[in-house]
Amino acid sequence: MTEFNDALTLRYRELWRSMEVVMVLSKTEAAAALADIQETNRRGATLRGYRIGGPILMLWSVIWALGYLGMGLLPPQQWGWAWLVLDMVGIVGSIVLTRPAEKAVRASGAKSSAATLKMIGGMAVALVLVMSAFSVLRPTDPAAYLAFPGLMVGAIYAAVGVFVARRYLAIGAVMFALTLIGFYAFPEVLAFWMASASVGLFVSGVWLARA
Amino acid sequence: MAKADDLIHQPLRLKIMAALYTERGGEPPEFSRLKSITQATDGNLGSHLTALEKAGYVEILKDHVGKRPRTRASVTSTGAKAFREHVAYLRELVEGID
Repeated sequence: MTEFNDALTLRYRELWRSMEVVMVLSKTEAAAALADIQETNRRGATLRGYRIGGPILMLWSVIWALGYLGMGLLPPQQWGWAWLVLDMVGIVGSIVLTRPAEKAVRASGAKSSAATLKMIGGMAVALVLVMSAFSVLRPTDPAAYLAFPGLMVGAIYAAVGVFVARRYLAIGAVMFALTLIGFYAFPEVLAFWMASASVGLFVSGVWLARA
Repeated sequence: MAKADDLIHQPLRLKIMAALYTERGGEPPEFSRLKSITQATDGNLGSHLTALEKAGYVEILKDHVGKRPRTRASVTSTGAKAFREHVAYLRELVEGID
C-alpha cells in the first residue's frame, strides 16, 4: 500500500512539473493593478516635482532677500528696476535648473511634460497679475506695496498645494503668515522683515529638495 | 495577446517596477526615495528588490557619497520589457481583448 501511495505521489509530481502553470487574473484584479501603477507614477511624479522645485525655491529665496533688501535700502524710484533685473535672473536661473529634469524625461522616452514652458507661463501669469493689481489698486501705503507680493506668492503656492502637491500648501501658508505678521507687527521695518522671511522660503526649498 | 508575469504581479514588486520604469531615463533612485514612492518598509522593499534582481529585472547599485553608503536601483532592459508586456497584458484584460 505504501509503495502504491509513493508511486502515486511521484506520478502526481511528474504530472504537476509537466504542466505549464499559467497565472490567470480577473478583470477586477487587472484594473486594480493598473490603478496601483498609476498611483505609484503619480507619487513618483510629485516627489520628482519637489526635487526640481526645491532648488528653484532656494534660488527665488535669494532673489526675494535681495529684492526686499533693495526696497529697504534704495529710494522707491529704483525699486522697479531692481526687481526687474532680479526677476530676469530668477526666470533664467529657474529655466536652467529645470533643464536636467526635462532631459531625463526625454531620455526615458516618456512624453515631455514641457515643464519649462509651463513654468514660464506660470511666472508670466503671476507677473501680469501682480502688475495689473498694482495698476488697478494703486496702493499709497508703502507697507501695502511691500506686503502685496508676499501675499500673492503665498496664495499661489497655497493654490498649487491644494490642486497639485501638498507640501506647497504648507509653504504658501507660512509665506502668507510671515507677510501678515510683518505687515501688522513691524510695518516700519517691513522691507527688512520680508527680506529675512526669505529664510523661510530657503528652508522650504531644502525641504522640497530632500523629498 | 501579451503575457502575464507572475513575478512582477506581486503588488509591491509591481510598484517597484512602475517606479523604476518611469525613472529609467534619469538618475537611478535611491533606496529611501523608492521607499517613499512605493510606501514600503525597509525589509519588504529590500527582499522584493533582491527577488527582482535575481530575476534580472533590476540592477542594484551600491556606492558611497562621501562617507555615506548609498543604494540605488535601476530597471534592466529585460525588466523594462517584462514590465511593458505585463502592463500590456493587464490592459488587454481590462479592455476585454483576447
